[in-house]
Amino acid sequence: MVRDILRNLQKDFRVEFRSRFAVNIAVSFAGIVTISISLTAGGAPFPVKVQSILLWVVLFFSAMNGLAHIFVREEDQGTSLFLRITRSADSIYISKFIFNQIFMMIIGTVVTPLFVFFVGVDVIHVLHFIMSVIAGGFSIAASTTPLAAMAAKAGGKGSLFTIISFPILLPVLWISISSTAGALNEARPESGTVIFLLAFSGFITAISILLFRFIWLEN
Amino acid sequence: MKHVINIAMKSVYVLMPVTIVMAFLWAPPAELLGDYSRIIYFHVPLAWVSVLAFVVSGILSVIFLLDKKNRFSGLDGKSFNSAAIGLAFTVCTVMTGSIWAKLSWGSFWNWDPRETSIVFILLIYIAYFCLQAALAGKSSRGKIGSSYLIVAMATLPFFVFLIPRIVWSLHPETIINVNRTIYMDDQMWITLLTALISFSVLYVYLFNLMNRIMVLKHRIGEHPHAAD
Repeated sequence: MVRDILRNLQKDFRVEFRSRFAVNIAVSFAGIVTISISLTAGGAPFPVKVQSILLWVVLFFSAMNGLAHIFVREEDQGTSLFLRITRSADSIYISKFIFNQIFMMIIGTVVTPLFVFFVGVDVIHVLHFIMSVIAGGFSIAASTTPLAAMAAKAGGKGSLFTIISFPILLPVLWISISSTAGALNEARPESGTVIFLLAFSGFITAISILLFRFIWLEN
Repeated sequence: MKHVINIAMKSVYVLMPVTIVMAFLWAPPAELLGDYSRIIYFHVPLAWVSVLAFVVSGILSVIFLLDKKNRFSGLDGKSFNSAAIGLAFTVCTVMTGSIWAKLSWGSFWNWDPRETSIVFILLIYIAYFCLQAALAGKSSRGKIGSSYLIVAMATLPFFVFLIPRIVWSLHPETIINVNRTIYMDDQMWITLLTALISFSVLYVYLFNLMNRIMVLKHRIGEHPHAAD
């Protein structure tokens, strides 16, 4: 199984970096939105809560542009049938999960410094801020991986992926925003928010592993 | 057995009027809220039935996915019906809750953690119906829809129990009486329990009705000229 996962990952990264479609779209979107926010604010400082809300809105919609792509591409190119025959559902799920986690990390690594620089965010608790972004990103990727498979099966129509993901991700976004705001305040931040995000990710991942074969296999 | 179940379901014709009479005429008004408190006999049972309907749809989805030999027919349709009833009851819960909030706190919407949670639940099930619509005509519709319902059911405890308890709330005990506890006298408890039973029976009645309509539609679909 480990060999299958590595082969899937190798294939996914090779195909992605040949076109760089998902990464280009997500990073370009994040860059445009961040610069637009900074430009329209004209250097005026935002309150801490607004800064964290804007950061997570940018991260969320950037992720929505690319996270479903890994499954939609398999359906569009007709390779999902080949994968269904040659690889187990578990190995497919784990490889797509790892791909989406790496994808989300790339988005977070590009967007967060860009946002901090352009919006003029003053990070007081740096470690907590980094942990919040990592844990929030991890939760988003973990929650959206099975939903991306569902949206792809439905034909990946328009904004269906965002519609079905948004309600499930709302608690993640809510807690991520409050956790990030905590890192920007003078008061000592609570680590419980990061633990909640990691626990939610673990919970959703466990259910997703159990359900994925029903989503992925036709009969 | 079927006859007994039918009679039990038809008891809704008696139970609902009895509940309305008890809620408006028999139960005494609460100390702090006065007659406004009577909305509790509708708001709480509606919220209870919403969660019950979503849990039933989730459990039916689990059975549907595990039933490889297809021993139970139409479980995906039944879970869809239960989710539809749950959604309708959730909308009614939000409406009665908003009226109660206006009477107690002065505004229809306050983004109280419980209000926020119910909106999250509402959005999850609206998303489920969007997904079902997008999957129309596909053979995988039942399995994917059921998988989404299971994910939705799994997140329910976070919304119903966890979030309202980790975030400060205006909602629970503070508005019932001056001692800031859920103290209700016997008449109030009996009325609330009667309302809970009535609304639960109403859910079973509607669920059964929708399932029968689904079976009839299916039969007409299979034999389009059966009426001729």
